[in-house]
Amino acid sequence: MAIIEIEGLAKSYRIYQKQEGLLASVRGLFHRTYRDVQAVRGIDLAVESGEFVAFLGPNGAGKTTTLKLLSGVINPTHGTARVMGHVPWRRENAYRRRFALVMGQKNQLWWDLPAQESFRLHQQIYAIPPDQFLRRRDELVDLLTVRHLLSQPVRELSMGERMKMELIAALLHSPEVLFLDEPTIGLDVVAQHNIQSFLRHYQQTSKMTVLFTSHYMKDVAALCRRVVIIAQGQIMYDGSLGGIIDRFSGHKMITLVFPGDSLPQGLSRFGEVVEEQAPKVKLRVDRNVIAESLAAILAQHTVQDVSVEDPPLEEVIAEMFSLANEQARSAQAGLEEVPSPHA
Amino acid sequence: MIDTTANEARAGQGGEAVANVHPSYLGVFLTFARNSLVRDMTFRANFIIETVSSLSWMAMNLGYYMLIFRFTSSIGRNTGWGEYEFFVFLATTLVVNSIVQAFFMPNCEEFSELIRTGGLDFALLKPIDTQFLISLQKIDWASLSNLLFAIGLLAFSLAHLPAWPTAVQILLYPLYIACGVAIMYSLMITLSATSVWLGRNQTLYDFWFYITNFSRYPMEIYHGTVGSPLRIFFTYIIPVLVVVNVPAQLLAKPLEAQSWPLAVFALFAAAASLWTSRQIFRRAMLSYRSASS
Repeated sequence: MAIIEIEGLAKSYRIYQKQEGLLASVRGLFHRTYRDVQAVRGIDLAVESGEFVAFLGPNGAGKTTTLKLLSGVINPTHGTARVMGHVPWRRENAYRRRFALVMGQKNQLWWDLPAQESFRLHQQIYAIPPDQFLRRRDELVDLLTVRHLLSQPVRELSMGERMKMELIAALLHSPEVLFLDEPTIGLDVVAQHNIQSFLRHYQQTSKMTVLFTSHYMKDVAALCRRVVIIAQGQIMYDGSLGGIIDRFSGHKMITLVFPGDSLPQGLSRFGEVVEEQAPKVKLRVDRNVIAESLAAILAQHTVQDVSVEDPPLEEVIAEMFSLANEQARSAQAGLEEVPSPHA
Repeated sequence: MIDTTANEARAGQGGEAVANVHPSYLGVFLTFARNSLVRDMTFRANFIIETVSSLSWMAMNLGYYMLIFRFTSSIGRNTGWGEYEFFVFLATTLVVNSIVQAFFMPNCEEFSELIRTGGLDFALLKPIDTQFLISLQKIDWASLSNLLFAIGLLAFSLAHLPAWPTAVQILLYPLYIACGVAIMYSLMITLSATSVWLGRNQTLYDFWFYITNFSRYPMEIYHGTVGSPLRIFFTYIIPVLVVVNVPAQLLAKPLEAQSWPLAVFALFAAAASLWTSRQIFRRAMLSYRSASS
């Protein structure tokens, strides 16, 4: 049975449209115009116990809103969700002690105190028995190599160190489900890598279910087998990372290295020349004609080296995001032409 | 190695065993108190400045009323609020205020900010009563020095009254102080919670200071065409007048026959205020929309 079940989940916000200028602001005191923003528009999703699922999507796609709905922080406009059998927005303590949410852009540790004081507070709030608390804290602290930082005020920690402390705080009560909202945002490559390896190791050992958002493809590639792409509040793709390329990219990249310093002419008829730096040329070629094109190139030119690759994942996803935005815009335009029955 | 025993234990029991554990509210409160003290001590100079400044504010308050009593022998004619009776009243005001300032003011102030910035998200995740968590997270230890000052003033003033209060009066006093604090707190948390509906940067929290100003004087002064409606409004609608008046009367003007209904009403007012504030807090939490990350 799925540990997270979401059906038709939607959330819209009414946002006050503030006009520019003083006069308009005064007018706004008496007559206000609002706009409905649909952050999440009907999501269906099922996640099995022990899965590590990535949520990808452009800014404003509805990823964080979905995590907040699943954490019970906000109420949905429509739809249902169950996590471990609980309806999140009922905010039952029985549910709240079985999951955790970590947000890369917000911190829950006491800013002026050493992290260990916040850990103690968590021990009290989650009623963790003392021996279990110490054992878990020590394991997590050692795994993340932050023992020497335990007694340093949180405000004096680097961003990476702070994120490690946030993770420890979130994991002290052994949650069965973890929601991670951009845990590696703003971190340097080393810190990102450390957090990734910790999460991978921890998830594999504890079999915890993780739902995770990130803008870094490296995080996703390192951690998740399953990827859910959300754009404009809707799910656009649900499958493996590799599957994204098969499904959304009609191209492959051919890299050719020619002998000597000059490049042959006329390569553009095989595909788009993306990069040209003698003796190397990179071509973007239609997936369907890749074999013919390659055969023709090799027959017509002397080539020293050749490689055929998928286009970079970031590129495919960026294309997909802009496609989603365009679709949404045209859908919106279409809606505006039809007079609304409620107008 | 990761400690998987907890998770395994849960898997066997469907998570129910863990789900049924309850936190010790006293334990959590003591941890809040301890953490606040540790934080206050970290900023030692700030702690000292705050203590000194609030003590001098109280001393100035006292000086101001001492000055007034150079020109009059009582507040209002035949009200029974002579100099030392009124100082009992003033000490009671300071006791209530210092308790509210120490325990609730920093939290209610922060509550509006948490709503605006979305920081409330974390409070809503915790398996503990959200109102408890929001209301008592931080304790302003510097304000407790005011409490000592106020208790000193109370003892000094009582010693100058014709008779010492009886054991019953002394036992009832803390109860009515608690009622007063409960009313002040309820009003404060209610006004802070309005930020959920009022949105960005807007809160009625400041309003608390205006309203509670009415509690600082004996209710006898509210009479006549302007005074009476005010007295009725601030006794029965927003009961700030009973906050200080009832405990102060209890000690300074040992409850006359006509005061007993008011004393009974104060208990009811405290309970009703707490109940109402809890309902409003709950509604606010349902309307909370967080802030984008």
